[in-house]
Amino acid sequence: MRLPRLLRTTPFRLTLLFLALFAAAAAAFLGYIYIATAGEVNRRADKEISREMESLQAAYRLGGPDALNQTLVERSVGERPFLYLLMTADGKRLSGSIEESPVADFEGHDEKWTTFTVTETDLDGAEIKRPARGYQVRLDGGEILFVGADVGESESYVMKIVRALWGAGALVIVLGLAGGVLISRNVSRSMSGLAEVVNAVRGGDLKARAQVRGTRDEYDELAEGLNDMLDRIERLMGGLRHAGDAIAHDLRSPLTRLRARVEVALIEAESGKGDPLKALEQALEDTDGVLKTFNAVLAIARLQAAGSAPDPTVFDAADLANDMAELYEVMCEDKGQTFDSEITPGLAIKANREFMAQALANILDNAIKYTPEGGAVMLRLRRRSSGDIEFSVTDNGPGVPEADRPRVVERFVRLERSRNQPGAGLGLSLVSAVAAAHGGRIELAEGAGEYDGRGPGLRVAFIIPPLG
Amino acid sequence: MRILIIEDDLEAADAMQRGLADAGYECQHAPDGEAGVNAARDGEFDVLIVDRMMPKMNGVEVVETLRREGDGTPVLFLSALGEIDDRVVGLKAGADDYLVKPYAFAELIARVEALSRRRETGAVATTLKVGELEMNLIGRTVHRAGQEIDLQPREFQLLEFMMRHAGQSVTRTMLLEKVWEYHFDPQTNVIDVHISRLRSKIDKGFDRPMLQTVRGAGYRLDA
Repeated sequence: MRLPRLLRTTPFRLTLLFLALFAAAAAAFLGYIYIATAGEVNRRADKEISREMESLQAAYRLGGPDALNQTLVERSVGERPFLYLLMTADGKRLSGSIEESPVADFEGHDEKWTTFTVTETDLDGAEIKRPARGYQVRLDGGEILFVGADVGESESYVMKIVRALWGAGALVIVLGLAGGVLISRNVSRSMSGLAEVVNAVRGGDLKARAQVRGTRDEYDELAEGLNDMLDRIERLMGGLRHAGDAIAHDLRSPLTRLRARVEVALIEAESGKGDPLKALEQALEDTDGVLKTFNAVLAIARLQAAGSAPDPTVFDAADLANDMAELYEVMCEDKGQTFDSEITPGLAIKANREFMAQALANILDNAIKYTPEGGAVMLRLRRRSSGDIEFSVTDNGPGVPEADRPRVVERFVRLERSRNQPGAGLGLSLVSAVAAAHGGRIELAEGAGEYDGRGPGLRVAFIIPPLG
Repeated sequence: MRILIIEDDLEAADAMQRGLADAGYECQHAPDGEAGVNAARDGEFDVLIVDRMMPKMNGVEVVETLRREGDGTPVLFLSALGEIDDRVVGLKAGADDYLVKPYAFAELIARVEALSRRRETGAVATTLKVGELEMNLIGRTVHRAGQEIDLQPREFQLLEFMMRHAGQSVTRTMLLEKVWEYHFDPQTNVIDVHISRLRSKIDKGFDRPMLQTVRGAGYRLDA
């Protein structure tokens, strides 16, 4: 059954409320029309009755009861719409066109208006009741005169109008209800689509999405907003789950190693062999390694989950690039590499300075780590023709095969060659997360090409949108 | 030197107390924020080590309360909250330094030493002198035993920081923070390379090296 559900919808309730208001207004309006028109009919009848009464009283004053009687008889015969009754002082009928006065308790009233019903028999013998107004007066000589008028025709005319108005009102209410049902059903269908999605998500199905009908109305907007939110939540949950898996996976082996080392050291110390101090030192180093990995994974997961970098400030990208160049140049020299930089000044960016520094440091670290002695590392900062700001680090080390490039930014991915190098395979993942958190990306390409017998090299570009 | 440790984790506080006592410091412990504020009001301390998340009164409130009362004792925040914005909140509240849990004990000692020293330097010095090493902060010149040493601007800053904390251990992280003003975590030994450059300039040709490597911690400049 659909209706009870429908009755609970907001649009339907609003429809009912408006219909109720409308019906109340219509009733008041009809009441006013009825009072105005019906009152007018009575007033007009009363005026005519008064005029007739005056002319009869004039005839009475001129010629006494006989003249009045005469006049009544004459007037009863004509086509005039009045009803007459002349009675004695104690209410006995003298003459007139009706048998009995509708004013029942005459005593005490010298003058009285009344509304009564005239019963007639038509040609077919059926009784017809018609409303009438009447006025009764005690004449100077004590006789009682009643004059009435049939107002049925005028009144029935008014009633026709009133009935028509009632009919129109009823029609409006019916149509309004039908419209309300239709609108509510439409609206509630849109809403129940959204509600279904919400319920599905609440039930644990993060893949549920609301249908966007392409009508570009507020429901589509709501559906799109809901979908965006769900995308974000799904990404976040995925990120957290992945981070959890990654932490569990990558920390388990160093922790196991650490535990084994401590255990062996204990055994050795008990038996007087081995150097417990050295074992402790080694354990401390292992712990630091685990903490570093843990921190990096957390930073990546948080950045990915947040979707944006915290505390962005506006600063000159060249300052950052120069700082990093200054910081890492000596490292290159120490490793027997040449370092060079081309930094375009005055490129303002809005970013988190610490994360940006960490990202550039990671890229430079990688370049210096994988480029052999005698190689070259180059840091560039420039504005691309698209307007984006690009930091790039180019080396002439072994490079990364094209097929592996998308993989190396994933967490904990380490190419076979680099297994003997220190690191957890998180450097580029963090760089990528930092870039994404700033609305940018990283691009990996071949470096300067093979020369001096060295590899093609790698060019890592960190691209973020310009200010504004 | 007297240190007040305001920390609700009793085991962590105990380890810290033992370590600091071993390093020659006199320690007192307060198990929550309220007790910490009271202890800080009563006793004269040289450094406060304050945990960020505590019952009754959190670390930020503790520091804000003390600063409001005009207490300028150097504060080192300890926190499991290591995000950059957490650091900003802590420093804005009036803390002088910030250390993220879990930390290396050498790092804690180094930072506490740096804080305690910072308090003593009142007047603005124009020259720094450590043993036979002399630094003119206005002329930006450095001499060792009367012999001029030519330094790059950053090397000068690095040496200045080392000289201001002469005799104290200074960690790599502290150097990156105080000299370069970055707080990230370099995966490689980039700071070591800078120090070794500086060392080659100030110690080369002299019998006794002044710039020492402290195992497990960082570096120390000795007279």
